[in-house]
Amino acid sequence: MILSQLVISGVATGMLYALIALSMTVGYRATTVVNFGHGDIVMMGAYAMLFLAVGVGMPFPLALALAASGLFLFGFLMQRGLMAPIIAGPHLSLAIMALAVGYALRGVARIEWGNDILLLPRPYAQNAFLLGPVVITMDDLVITGSVLLLLLLLFVVFNVTRIGKVIQAVFQTQRGAQLVGINVPAFHCIMWGAGTTLGTAGGVLLALIVPLTPDMGVWTLVRGFAAMTLGGFGSLHGAVIGGVLLGLMEKLLGFYVSTVFIDISGYLITILVLLIRPQGLFGQHATLRV
Amino acid sequence: MPEPLLTALGVEAGYRSKQILFGVDFTISRGEVVALLGANGSGKSTALNTVSGFVRPSAGSIRFDGEEIAGSPPHRIFRRGIIQVSQARDLFPDMSVEDNLRLGAWVRGAEIEADLDAVCTSFPRLGERRRQPVRLMSGGEQQMVAIGRALMGRPKLLLLDEPSGGLAPVFVGEIAAIMTALKGRGITMLIIEQNIKLALTVADRFLILRDGKVAQGHDVRTGAATEEDIVRSIYL
Repeated sequence: MILSQLVISGVATGMLYALIALSMTVGYRATTVVNFGHGDIVMMGAYAMLFLAVGVGMPFPLALALAASGLFLFGFLMQRGLMAPIIAGPHLSLAIMALAVGYALRGVARIEWGNDILLLPRPYAQNAFLLGPVVITMDDLVITGSVLLLLLLLFVVFNVTRIGKVIQAVFQTQRGAQLVGINVPAFHCIMWGAGTTLGTAGGVLLALIVPLTPDMGVWTLVRGFAAMTLGGFGSLHGAVIGGVLLGLMEKLLGFYVSTVFIDISGYLITILVLLIRPQGLFGQHATLRV
Repeated sequence: MPEPLLTALGVEAGYRSKQILFGVDFTISRGEVVALLGANGSGKSTALNTVSGFVRPSAGSIRFDGEEIAGSPPHRIFRRGIIQVSQARDLFPDMSVEDNLRLGAWVRGAEIEADLDAVCTSFPRLGERRRQPVRLMSGGEQQMVAIGRALMGRPKLLLLDEPSGGLAPVFVGEIAAIMTALKGRGITMLIIEQNIKLALTVADRFLILRDGKVAQGHDVRTGAATEEDIVRSIYL
């Protein structure tokens, strides 16, 4: 019974990690650059939602749409104005630029909201349902359902639409894409924006279950990075599976071994995967630009 | 006399601090097939990549169809009708032959089916393998996909970088036949080709690049230069 409960809870948390890992993977696959500031973008998405829904008092769906659009624009402009000019430069410059943007966002959050721990009110009643002996909370359902919907949407966009073919094409070879007339630098900006938008969705879902702090980006980045590493860098389905496995591992090890594992599973997975199977579960041996 | 389709004047280009082209001049008329010959490192691929926008020239002018294109990015040059088949082919390996071909026409977005049928008729091997991922195909077949993909974009000028490079002899013959057929259809081409016999079979004119400059140019049709003369010009 406890095992079933842990699995349900682990899957729900894992879906959230999956979304964050997926949002990082989308940006990475497009540009081959890992956004080390992505955790802070997730944090900023959550704060933007809090500002619009609580501060301004907008209805939840409108606030969500505006937060997602705003963060899309932020991601687009970050790629266009900060990453693109140095994209041909050393990898370290790109990593430091992404980190610097993340730190700047954290600074803005700290100035604006201090170190207060804030809560995003749920737009639904905090009910729980009994499925046999297992308790399923409304949070579990909302998070899992939202992520599944987003995954379905992404699956359709990637595999059914014409633009999905273009995205796959650029993911496979950027020079090939340029040879068929695709504006690859503009594509980078759009996909970076898509990554920050998905990250915002992750931030909003996260804000439903944990308090907001300016430092939540670190926690988020570690989980997203671990899920990506486990699933295989650059693999979209790997990011999803990696996220779910990480969520399960945290809950199971946290209960059966020690609660310490809830906090350190992300680090442990990253270290072990890089040592034992660097390409992760579904990744290929690929060059990595950080 | 009508303006040439492409006019390159004093083009200088290179990579980072290494200059490769030192004032390249040449023209290509409509319907003409020009072969760009030269030893390794003479700047052939750089010249081709400068025309297609992958290398940004530091000086000089490239006029295409009455417009200046020097320094334009590759996607803009593609939209003007200059389409390149690169040496590495740069196909989408996990996609099917058909998806690769369709992507060749995605910018245009119209009349794709008719062009797709035309390419599959011209290249029956591709028609038979429409659903096959290109990574499972031989080098010669992949080269056909690359040429077919370029044709899907309806090029005004087709740039071919070593189309027979690394292919088995049986495929070299097929590629030669394809290039001759394209020439018969009036497609303007600029070709880099190490196989001089093949280049002379297809080209109307050849240019020899040496140390980043056009050293010589000959009209193939006059028969003024033999294969041996050309090899001597390139390497001696």
